[in-house]
Amino acid sequence: MRPASGDGPQLRTITVGGRTLRVSVRPGDGTLTPLLLMNGIGASLEVLQPFVDAVDPRREVIRFDVPGVGGSPKPVLPYTMMTFAPVVAGLLSRLGHREAVDVLGFSWGGGLAQQFAVQHRRRCRRLVLAATGTGSFMVPAHPRVLSKMLTPRRHRDPDYARTIAGEIYGGTMRAHPERAARALHAQSRLGPRRGYYYQLAAGAGWTSLPLLRLIQQPTLVLAGDDDPIIPEVNPRLMARMIPDGQLHLYRGGHLALVTEAPELAPVVDRFLS
Amino acid sequence: MSAAPRPDGQRAARSVPAAASTTGGDPDAGPERIAESATGLDMILTDAALGPLRRLVPPVSSSLRFTAALARRPRTVLGHTGRLVGEWGRIGLGRSEVTPGAKDKRYSDPAWSGNPMLKRAMQAHLVTAQTATQLVDAAALPYAHDERIRFSVTNIVEALAPSNSPALNPSAWKAAIDTGGRSAVSGTRRLVRDLSSAPRVPSMVEPDAFEVGKDLARTPGVVVLRTPVFELIQYQPTTPTVHAVPLVMVPPTINKFYIADLAEGRSIVEHVVGGGQQVFMMSWRNPDARHAEWGLDTYGQAVLDAMAAAERIAGAEQTGLMSFCSGGIITAMVLGHLAAIGQQDRVASATFAVTVLDQARGGTVGAFLDERSAQAATRASAKKGYLDGATLAEVFAWLRPNDLIWNYWVNNYLQGKPPAAFDILYWNADTTRMTAALHRGFLELAVRNSLTEPGAATMLGTPVDLSAVTVDNYVVAGIADHLCPWQSCYATTQLLGGDSRFVLSTSGHIASLVNPPTNPKSTWRTAPSDVPDADEWLASAHTEKGSWWTDYSRWVAERSGAEVPAPTELGGGGPVLGAAPGTYVFDK
Repeated sequence: MRPASGDGPQLRTITVGGRTLRVSVRPGDGTLTPLLLMNGIGASLEVLQPFVDAVDPRREVIRFDVPGVGGSPKPVLPYTMMTFAPVVAGLLSRLGHREAVDVLGFSWGGGLAQQFAVQHRRRCRRLVLAATGTGSFMVPAHPRVLSKMLTPRRHRDPDYARTIAGEIYGGTMRAHPERAARALHAQSRLGPRRGYYYQLAAGAGWTSLPLLRLIQQPTLVLAGDDDPIIPEVNPRLMARMIPDGQLHLYRGGHLALVTEAPELAPVVDRFLS
Repeated sequence: MSAAPRPDGQRAARSVPAAASTTGGDPDAGPERIAESATGLDMILTDAALGPLRRLVPPVSSSLRFTAALARRPRTVLGHTGRLVGEWGRIGLGRSEVTPGAKDKRYSDPAWSGNPMLKRAMQAHLVTAQTATQLVDAAALPYAHDERIRFSVTNIVEALAPSNSPALNPSAWKAAIDTGGRSAVSGTRRLVRDLSSAPRVPSMVEPDAFEVGKDLARTPGVVVLRTPVFELIQYQPTTPTVHAVPLVMVPPTINKFYIADLAEGRSIVEHVVGGGQQVFMMSWRNPDARHAEWGLDTYGQAVLDAMAAAERIAGAEQTGLMSFCSGGIITAMVLGHLAAIGQQDRVASATFAVTVLDQARGGTVGAFLDERSAQAATRASAKKGYLDGATLAEVFAWLRPNDLIWNYWVNNYLQGKPPAAFDILYWNADTTRMTAALHRGFLELAVRNSLTEPGAATMLGTPVDLSAVTVDNYVVAGIADHLCPWQSCYATTQLLGGDSRFVLSTSGHIASLVNPPTNPKSTWRTAPSDVPDADEWLASAHTEKGSWWTDYSRWVAERSGAEVPAPTELGGGGPVLGAAPGTYVFDK
């Protein structure tokens, strides 16, 4: 018998298709479709905790660390969006989910989510794309912002995260840059650098532009009006190109899903219900 | 037991048990025994930093001594090689009567004796292996050189066994025929998978054979404290009353804590909780390059933090400590620190399981640990920021190549079969890193043997004098432990100032710990530990049936204060940070 607090997130380690992933499952009550979260680049699953806490408690929420990030072992071989999507599908099977789940992709995870929605159509019921773009072919961010995204330093060095947070994340980070280091768990989690670069490489040369028309699931595109990484024109374009897409533009920056979770989680809940 | 066999003086070549038998086949070479030899002592840290290859190639100085020693004994060498050539001749003619030792399961397939070609290959290998060992015996090298040369020779000879060859091993052929060639495909796939990432040795368990939190580390409890260094788990009492003094467990700093909390019925934690103890477990963070500076002091302070939390939650002024392997080294130093600042009455009892504090002579390990290689190892880990657990796993495997490499080589690759699922081996494969500073700290302790000398080591700014530690202590060792020889563990009773109870369990490093009362074969020995010499102690010891866990439960209960109603709520009113086994245990 587990003590009362045992209904919190359960961590486990699962090996699928040669990839070992640290996985967290917050149990729900089974009345709602489970929600699978796909995370931003270099971010451990802990980063999404504020969002998970804010989402309807009846919803089962699944998170994982990509290879080499957070608590997952570093990858030996690189992967691409196309080869990693089946790993995620295998992960769902191992967790006992034969039915479709809802998928939320945040930032880098949004790219994976688009790939997953097309490649594993029957495993994905509804799709939420938060603070994400279409990959290599999109209206790019300012080069100054992009150059800072090319290294995992902001995940390793809290002081650095503080100095650049406003510029690259926008929104409330401009006024409270110290919250970025906390939001990124820069103190508590870290993968080896290789994990970050493989994650970066998985998205390099990849684009969802040809995929957008193929996304058949009802899709919510969630984006901030002050997100230096994803200029606003991109989500507008995505929402228009996805056949069953709708746009929700919020006031804020790139990390708002995490830092302003109480405001955004209900938007997601409403869309999924 | 050391990795190298001792000379037994036997010369007749009728049956060949000596050369390879300590590692080659044993009647009970089941996973239990393999697990024993798989894991171990943090003192092999030198090799883990420098890589296992260093061991396979003996140092030039040892090789020179070996050659020189043999050159001084030409007649012996001629005798051995002459007999070898003669035996080869008889093998070629099919007249040799050489048979493998009864315990050698490498050649258990009847084809090895039935097929003339296979029989010759086997016999030639057996006599060559025996001659190689005899030559090492004949050289009569000093201890350290002998260990090194013997290690290399044994490894090379065992690698060349015909049973390891895919072309010769009949079980490989049979598997390929039975599966229509699929075994060869899956064997190759396993080989590629194993070689693609460290540890580059055959896997002893499938990566998904068990699940932590579900099959292992499943005793119910909650995380009551999380620091950057460790999480503290409080276990749910299962008895209506508990002892007032909490018991804090200090696990090894290599591999995860759940060696003390394996599958149901095989968990010391579960057993001790069932004995009415309020048990707290430290779960060390799997450190990475950022934590390079965490040294012995960091880990010592962590033990103090865990004690303080346990005392607060249990509302007690004292704590009992139970430590394992390298966790015991840290615990002993913390006790020295508490004695130095006049606070050792905070500790109700101290337990040291398979812990070596006196490193005077640690078998193979000791022979390979000299100051120069220790420094090289320290530099290597300092450059990286940590010592890699996977490399350490390779080193452990090469300590007993027949049990841990070639056995799985045949099973996984030649026969293409998955290895059997065994919880200890799963735990063993779940490696962790060790910070560079802690690695340096342990090596310095080992090279100078600082804990045997009052004041030679410090903890948190105070000198450590173990003879000033007057806490009652319980010391347990395994009779077949080749990493922490029981005699070295026994020395702890002579180092500490308090009353000692020494208990000698059956089997080796890990299996002596995982020794539940349900095991019908287990026994343990005990005797008063007032004699300085371990072998004298053994002579006076009497054997008890059952597991030492029962004895320990009784011993610690006597030192855990009054019985009070079990707490209805975990965490003592403080925040509860999640369910056991916590989050750190999942970090790869």
